[in-house]
Amino acid sequence: MRSISLRSCFAVLFLAALGAAAPATFPPGYAGSELCAVCHEDIAKAFAKSPHQVVDAGDKHGFAGRACESCHGPAMKHTESADATDVRNPAKLTAAAADKICLTCHLNQPTHAGRLQSSHAKDQIACTSCHKVHANGPNGLVERAPAAVNAQCASCHTNVWAQFQKPNHHKLPEGAMSCVDCHNPHGSMRPAMMQSFAANEPGCLNCHGDKRGPFTFEHGPVRFEGCATCHEPHGSANPRMLVRQEVRLVCLECHANLPTKNATGTIGTVPPSFHNLRLPQFQNCTTCHQKVHGSYVDRDLLR
Amino acid sequence: MRAEIRRLAIFLLAAAALLAQDTPSASTPTPAASADAASPVPTTESWLTGYIDLGYRWRTDVGGSFDTYRSIINLGSGPKVIGADFTLIDPKHRAFDKVHVRASGWGGEPYQTFHLDAAKSKLYDFSADYRDIAYFDVLPSYADPLLTRGITLDEQSFDTRRRTASFHLDLLPDHWIIPYLDYDRDSSGGTGATTFVTDANQFPVPNSMYDLTNLYRGGVRLELRRFHATLEQGGTTFVNNQNVYQNPTGTNYGNFNTPVFGQTTDLTSLLAAYGVRGTSIYSKALFSANATSWLDLYGQFLYSVPNTSVNYQQADTGNLLLQSQVLFYTSQQYLVTAASKLPHTSGSFGAEIRPFRRVRILESWLTDRLHNAGSAGSAQTLTNATQSEQIAALLASSLVNNYNQEEINLIFDATSKLVLRGGYRYVWGDASDTVLPTEGLISSDQAKLRRNVGLGGVTFRPAQKLSLTAEAEVASSGGAYFRTSLYNYQKVRAQARYQLLTSLGLTADFTLLDNQNPVPGVNYDYAARQESVSLFWSPAGGKAWDFQGSYSRSSLRSNIGYLDPGTLTGQTSLYRDNDHTATALVNIKLRHRAGPTPKITAGGSFFISSGSRPTSYYQPLATLWVPTGKKLNWFAEWRYYGYGEAFYLYEGFRAHTVTAGVRFTP
Repeated sequence: MRSISLRSCFAVLFLAALGAAAPATFPPGYAGSELCAVCHEDIAKAFAKSPHQVVDAGDKHGFAGRACESCHGPAMKHTESADATDVRNPAKLTAAAADKICLTCHLNQPTHAGRLQSSHAKDQIACTSCHKVHANGPNGLVERAPAAVNAQCASCHTNVWAQFQKPNHHKLPEGAMSCVDCHNPHGSMRPAMMQSFAANEPGCLNCHGDKRGPFTFEHGPVRFEGCATCHEPHGSANPRMLVRQEVRLVCLECHANLPTKNATGTIGTVPPSFHNLRLPQFQNCTTCHQKVHGSYVDRDLLR
Repeated sequence: MRAEIRRLAIFLLAAAALLAQDTPSASTPTPAASADAASPVPTTESWLTGYIDLGYRWRTDVGGSFDTYRSIINLGSGPKVIGADFTLIDPKHRAFDKVHVRASGWGGEPYQTFHLDAAKSKLYDFSADYRDIAYFDVLPSYADPLLTRGITLDEQSFDTRRRTASFHLDLLPDHWIIPYLDYDRDSSGGTGATTFVTDANQFPVPNSMYDLTNLYRGGVRLELRRFHATLEQGGTTFVNNQNVYQNPTGTNYGNFNTPVFGQTTDLTSLLAAYGVRGTSIYSKALFSANATSWLDLYGQFLYSVPNTSVNYQQADTGNLLLQSQVLFYTSQQYLVTAASKLPHTSGSFGAEIRPFRRVRILESWLTDRLHNAGSAGSAQTLTNATQSEQIAALLASSLVNNYNQEEINLIFDATSKLVLRGGYRYVWGDASDTVLPTEGLISSDQAKLRRNVGLGGVTFRPAQKLSLTAEAEVASSGGAYFRTSLYNYQKVRAQARYQLLTSLGLTADFTLLDNQNPVPGVNYDYAARQESVSLFWSPAGGKAWDFQGSYSRSSLRSNIGYLDPGTLTGQTSLYRDNDHTATALVNIKLRHRAGPTPKITAGGSFFISSGSRPTSYYQPLATLWVPTGKKLNWFAEWRYYGYGEAFYLYEGFRAHTVTAGVRFTP
């Protein structure tokens, strides 16, 4: 598209005339990828090395030899007029319309099993926001190296990336992890599009296997509301990415010694404890209640 | 003769092409579309592309707290394989079409990664990933009851390495039936400090930890035009060993040196060992279907049953106290055998219905049910000079959560530039947490979750260069599991993106979460907001320079009451956090008339917060790249790390690192 020379136009016209003269190989209105490549040479070259090349080469998708038109629609008229309005340009469609083109082939894949729960789908974030359809190179259509994935996510989620600049964070800025280690951008049935471990367990357990249990004596919030009850997974100024500056406040906000006066109940408010918080050893609950993620042997999570 | 053969071959090829053009069937693929003709790899292309960065890092002495430096940064001096990224291409497509390898941080770095992708079209896709990440955490402010005695020992500290490996093999990719196999391994090992807790004292002691999880899974994907199903079966094995010990050579007086009932407690020896073994099996079934032109269906069924069995052995000596019987003892043997099982079932079902051209209805339902049952039998023998006390106990535990959610969204494409969304979500569930027999005032904890959520969103793209997105949730609850859970909340997110020039893009982002729980006894008031702007400017395609930067400001306010456990007086937990974060990076290419172009990169990030834990954290950097040949670049990088905390001055640190190295490009 960038540089369509006069020679290319003549070539197209010649090939189109040849196509018109020869019996049609494609359904009516389709020109075939070879004809597209005459003008869009740079895209065609990149496309030939991209994973999408299988659409052109194979017949699984029903567009053998006319992969360009699997997304851009029948292009014969465009080849004759060289008018951009005579061919479909997914970049100018609404996100839903553009996605519909991608999902023509990709709908029935496991990647999209959680698509309806995805906030990307609900907020009209098109597939092409992340995937470069014509791209080639070692990573295929989408970034794979952690640093590149993170940069791509951060280009929209600026707020979240800012949290990773806090001193205690998961090692994304260092390139050791990427956003997709924890989140499934296509959606999942877990909150915040979190990844899963072993079918339906929280994705955090992919790395933190020692917190998996099941424990003989569980700590309810870990199972009921997940790690983010007590931790800021993206980053925090507090040690261990805690949501409060001191451990005791994390604990006391739930274990408040105040019975909740509502009919539906609240877990963890009682029993009362009588520790003297002025003594240093009681200022950090985990000094004693060290198995705070759950204990195999002690009901009070002491060992 | 050779020229004649060549001419004949050209003639035959031309004839074949013409014959192929004459083929009348439209359904037959063209010869040009055959796999060989459309080879993804032109033979003229280099078989090996990529780079490897080798270098040496010098780190200055760390000013301030070295433990905090290691807890946050942990970079050291020495030779490094800083990074590598290679792609190998086999033009003849023998064992593979393409192999891609990337690695980073080798040479004693705290984060070492290796990743390999190998693929052969229509035969296999293979990937392997390995990471070795150091976890060092020694922050005296975290858990140091002895700080007033001048001892800076975080009693919950650790120095471990976590290693994860993942191998995935897809067979027959791009076919309609795709079997796959996967193996994941996650292990961690190291040492640390913990506490041995007795009735009247806690003794800081060293410990060693090791855990290993193996995950095996295999399945098959059926990918048809209008239907897809994935069936997967997997299982895990789990080992967790922890040893806590106190050498009998010395006496440990613990955190509490005030006499209890006239005696000082101490620990003279300890050996405690946890032996935890676990297994699980799980099943997974996914499907999606394009049932009709106006209906897509999705569903998932997931079931797992992890279980663990535990043997805990503990032997300790000293002068220790059993408070409930006011019994001082000199030795203890404590044995626990425990087991637990956690059946966990999840399911979801969804549909996208398109009744009209501009209207889409997204309906989804999900349930997540887990029921953990555990039991523990213990035998404790306490001995002193005059008697031996035997205590046995049998406990049973249960943890139940039944979570359900139903959501409907209606999306209306008002115009080609404006999309509106409205919806409703209902969340309900019940949970209980019980240990039997009950102890003291502890009884079964039960709670119900009832939440109604209104959903809304708008996407407005008046021009290709400008997009505005906003979404909001407003919720009202009739019950929540915890005092700090979401209750009556409003959540808003808005974003604007503007491509002012081809070379200049701007993004602004705003998020707000306001959560109140007015239930008497809770009175939780929480508000968090964050605003960000970012800019990317690359004039003339970045030929001379480019700049990217972002600034974020966030504030958080949280108030919730509690009774002080010691005095049972009303207190409020106040948490305030106001922070400013900025990142910036400018790349300048030092162009001159001839020869390669050196490049300077400068920038970094800073974080400054005030409130409950005022903190500052600076990370400026500067890098110089000098191409020294077609295949060789020289680079040098300087970084500074400065960290400070207003309330914990002893945890601040400052350090410089300088890295110099070369990049080889084959």
